Amino acid sequence: MANDISRRSLLRYSVLGLGGAALLGLAGCSTGVAGAPVTTPGAAEPTDFAFASWSLSEEAAKPTIEAALKSFSSAEGISIDTSAYPYNEYLNQLTLQVRGGQFSGAAQLDVAWLSALAALGKLTDLSAYTGGRGYTDAALGAGTSGGKQLGLPWTIGAIGLIGNAELFDKAGASLTPGTIDEFEDGLRALKGIGVIPYAASTKAAQLKDIVVWMQTFGSPIIEDGKSTIGDDASVEAVEWYKKLYDDGLIAADVDRAAARTLFSQGATALYDDAPVGKSSVVSQSPDATLGDKMTPIARPVLKAGSTPQHVLWGHLVVVVDGEGAGTAADFAQWLTSDPEQSEEYFAALGLPPTTEAALASDTVTANAFVQAFTETVTSTAKSSPLWEYPSYAQMETAIAEQVQAVLIGQKSASDAMKTAGDTITGLI
Amino acid sequence: MTTITATPITVLAEEAPPPGARRRRRRVRWGTWITLAVISLFGFAPVYWLLATSLTPSDQVFAFPPTLFPKEVTFSHYATVFGNEAIFVYFRNSVIVSVITAVLSVIVSMYMGYAFSKYRFAGRKSLMYFVLSSQMFPQALLLVTLYLVFAQFGLLNTYLALILSFTTFTLPLCVWMLKGFFDALPDDLIEAARIDGAGPWRIFHSIVLPLAAPGLVAAGLFAFVRGWNDFIFALTLAGPDRQTLPPGLVNTFISEASTSWPALMAASLVVSVPVCIAFILLQRFLVGGITAGAVKG
Repeated sequence: MANDISRRSLLRYSVLGLGGAALLGLAGCSTGVAGAPVTTPGAAEPTDFAFASWSLSEEAAKPTIEAALKSFSSAEGISIDTSAYPYNEYLNQLTLQVRGGQFSGAAQLDVAWLSALAALGKLTDLSAYTGGRGYTDAALGAGTSGGKQLGLPWTIGAIGLIGNAELFDKAGASLTPGTIDEFEDGLRALKGIGVIPYAASTKAAQLKDIVVWMQTFGSPIIEDGKSTIGDDASVEAVEWYKKLYDDGLIAADVDRAAARTLFSQGATALYDDAPVGKSSVVSQSPDATLGDKMTPIARPVLKAGSTPQHVLWGHLVVVVDGEGAGTAADFAQWLTSDPEQSEEYFAALGLPPTTEAALASDTVTANAFVQAFTETVTSTAKSSPLWEYPSYAQMETAIAEQVQAVLIGQKSASDAMKTAGDTITGLI
Repeated sequence: MTTITATPITVLAEEAPPPGARRRRRRVRWGTWITLAVISLFGFAPVYWLLATSLTPSDQVFAFPPTLFPKEVTFSHYATVFGNEAIFVYFRNSVIVSVITAVLSVIVSMYMGYAFSKYRFAGRKSLMYFVLSSQMFPQALLLVTLYLVFAQFGLLNTYLALILSFTTFTLPLCVWMLKGFFDALPDDLIEAARIDGAGPWRIFHSIVLPLAAPGLVAAGLFAFVRGWNDFIFALTLAGPDRQTLPPGLVNTFISEASTSWPALMAASLVVSVPVCIAFILLQRFLVGGITAGAVKG
């Protein structure tokens, strides 16, 4: 009774199935409309709105954010409907909801994701909400896309080098290496005490970290709407990275999570992270004093006197147009710039605030780690040139794949970077 | 007088085993035991690691070099899990959607499987292949489409959205699984019932279904586990109140900068217990159901 499936039949029905799938996919993927609706502060009668956030699902942040939501909703006499998704799934979920017309209101956003969400054309222009609140220029810059203020900065920092001062002392290495050569000397000294000198990213998931080293070597990454990856500077940066790898100064198979673990165990002296990673490192360390030994280090430069390169990191609050958008915008402004709110958020989570007043407050200035991080790392941080493009994630993947090919000796740096550059230009 | 002479019966002596045969048998038996032990170790090692991590204090989880047994044992992670009310809500949601998915999948696929197996109708073959080809759709693509459809019908954030979406995945395999099972039931049995005056409805429910019970249990278990383990559909379609365990646990224990591995391991262990019990209780049906129809005749 059973019928055998011939190869021809299987092929025929597979094609039918995939064709159907493609049609269904197209139905769900119509392009969004560009342009941002504009709203003004306090213009709207307070109405209920929704708030999406990944931090709302996180044990450490949840109570503080819930308290803020309660405080605002009570004051305005409204209710705020919340939804939370894990960080790694958040952008996909939010994009789906916004595209499907199921979400309007305020949403937490990573600075890297702004252009991807802005491409849907549903984000409200919040330019009118920035005046008189004391946001720093760098923080406001992180919330702009296509010349519009599409996000208000909630916390802004950077990703920089963090060292274990005790291990640096033990190795006799400098905690303030000025140039790449001095930095490399320090790594060799650290290797001498039996630790992984630098837990740099070598796993594809985080190999995008190489971009800031390319900038350090002088590559602009994007110029005149084209990728410059493949130029001498980017090739030199990757060749240098490969040298560190071959000499055992960086290790294989390291991503951000592994680097944090190695650092917490005292197995590495140096890694890249934002201030948000400190609590995780300290909590999993057997060394109760590790937090005091963590020291931010300015990224070395190619030639003395140049500006250290750092990539911006932080969270924004954006407003998706629709029901309750006006009140959601008022909420976004209050959440990100109310002095009391900013200080409370910092005190609870150690996330750097975004207004001049909050940064100058006693609460913030008393935190030595964040102060040092802001001075040595955040002060020269810039957004990644790739974030301007909605397909930035594919660009970062293209770079990561090629750098990995270089590290494992499959390709020369020049061939690999030319391939990566061409791919990125194609994606632009 | 006839003398009967007894013919001596020659008893064939059992052939003596060739020299060394016993030793070879013993060696084969030991080889089998060792192979099974290695396979068991391979299977149980992750479960042991799960258990060991869930009992290790947070600051020792990543200790290097890692140890086989925790140096200190703590039950604090289990306390964290049992102290988190949200996990019980996720658990309840998982049970509801997985059980209903299993029941719905079995009910629909038993009729479809029977029809494909025992009836001849125009387009039968095409329909069977179409059911199979629906398994080839990428999940992400189906997800977007289902999301938009459910949004139109106001089904987002409901149990029904989860049950229907899980069933889209379980149905094709359940249908094919049960078709194979019905194929193995002899047509003569159905013919005999028909001669005795039973109608199609009676034949199916009174004669075929009881014989197909192991297959139904196997298909139901498959659908249950599929619903229990799903992450992406539950995350997208369920909303905060209807979220099931996989997205719920990720939401609770994995954050932007860190993962609470010991608590996640403890929760994973606790929530896998009901599924293990279900498998233990129903394993004889499962084995019978999966292999049924594998041999013709």
